[in-house]
Amino acid sequence: MGLKEKFFEKARDTCKKIVLPEGTDERIQKAAEVLKKEGIAAPVLVGNKDEIISRASQRGIDCSNLEIVDPLTYPGLPELVNLYSESRKVKKGVAERILKKELVFGGMLLAADKVDGMVAGAASTTASVIQASALTVGYAYGISTPSSFFIMELPDGRVLFYADCAVNIDPSAQQLAEISISTSSSFQKIMGQQPKTALLSFSTKGSASHPFVDKVQQAVSLAKEIVGDSLCIDGEFQADTALVEAVARKKIKEPSPVAGQTNVLIFPDLDAGNIAYKLTQYLAGASAFGPILQGFAKPVSDLSRGAKVEDIVVITAIVCCLV
Amino acid sequence: MEYKEIEARVKKVIAEVLGVDEEKITSESRFVEDLGAESVQSLELVAAFEDEFDIEMEEDAALQVKTVGKAVEFIQRHLQEK
Repeated sequence: MGLKEKFFEKARDTCKKIVLPEGTDERIQKAAEVLKKEGIAAPVLVGNKDEIISRASQRGIDCSNLEIVDPLTYPGLPELVNLYSESRKVKKGVAERILKKELVFGGMLLAADKVDGMVAGAASTTASVIQASALTVGYAYGISTPSSFFIMELPDGRVLFYADCAVNIDPSAQQLAEISISTSSSFQKIMGQQPKTALLSFSTKGSASHPFVDKVQQAVSLAKEIVGDSLCIDGEFQADTALVEAVARKKIKEPSPVAGQTNVLIFPDLDAGNIAYKLTQYLAGASAFGPILQGFAKPVSDLSRGAKVEDIVVITAIVCCLV
Repeated sequence: MEYKEIEARVKKVIAEVLGVDEEKITSESRFVEDLGAESVQSLELVAAFEDEFDIEMEEDAALQVKTVGKAVEFIQRHLQEK
């Protein structure tokens, strides 16, 4: 069974409720139809009910079994307004206006536990999805930097998580530490295995000195300070030291639970991360799933604006695995 | 509504939303650089102006406004069109 099918199977076990705020978008509607029919998730579309139904029928999409929620007529709106106004310390009038925006409304449904996750971005920018999520569900404990990861499935069946390949251009040491923690936790939830997280560099444990190396070393110390021994995070390592046991034995003097057996790779900046995932995809023939957002208190993911229906279905299944 | 009145109410709203001292807000103040607005707060600022003046502003255009003085002019135009 391929990884994608494993995500579908895991998602089917619990069939989580996932809000899709871009309810009138054609690809979102088609994805919702597939998710419902295949029993992968229970989608909740946000938008004007008549508009969603009429557009769907013009497109030949069956949305008769789908839950549709209109922010303007939702009976639980006063509860969401109160919750928003209290948590963000703004006037109710301000909360009412802001909750008319589908993305913020979707995020608030998640914050209020009316749904289990949110998937958006087919018709909105990544920045808008991050903004709506930050205003509603907020960040996970100890995290103040949203980031993203890719799941890489290699032709030999190995699975590696790569981060951050899509959001943070030049993360500080603190941000790099948070990216390591978020990605370790995402790996644990999705794969059900112990993450072994390596912070990568052109240096292995001080073999080179440069401000770039200092940043990665600081990030390792900060990550260890924040999570203690609860997660396996180590570095700085060159990629071969992280991945190949024989190289790790040669280059590392102190025993490391991560070197030579890494399953989560943290890149020092977006140049390295983005280039690495594309090289792995095109030269090694890996399948890349993502980017998936992380760092929020509840599962949220962005979609690329060019996402196809199948991409939306897969990302939604992965978000279900993060619940 | 007079420019001065709009300006006073704009400053009051900014002070509330961003939690800054009203005295420190001038027409030249930039929301992000001078008043410390985080990008997530921009939507709340727009909604707070809409609520204060009972207007609807086009989101993308509103988010292009970078200083307090420009925000006052932007809102004044909306009030005149009302």
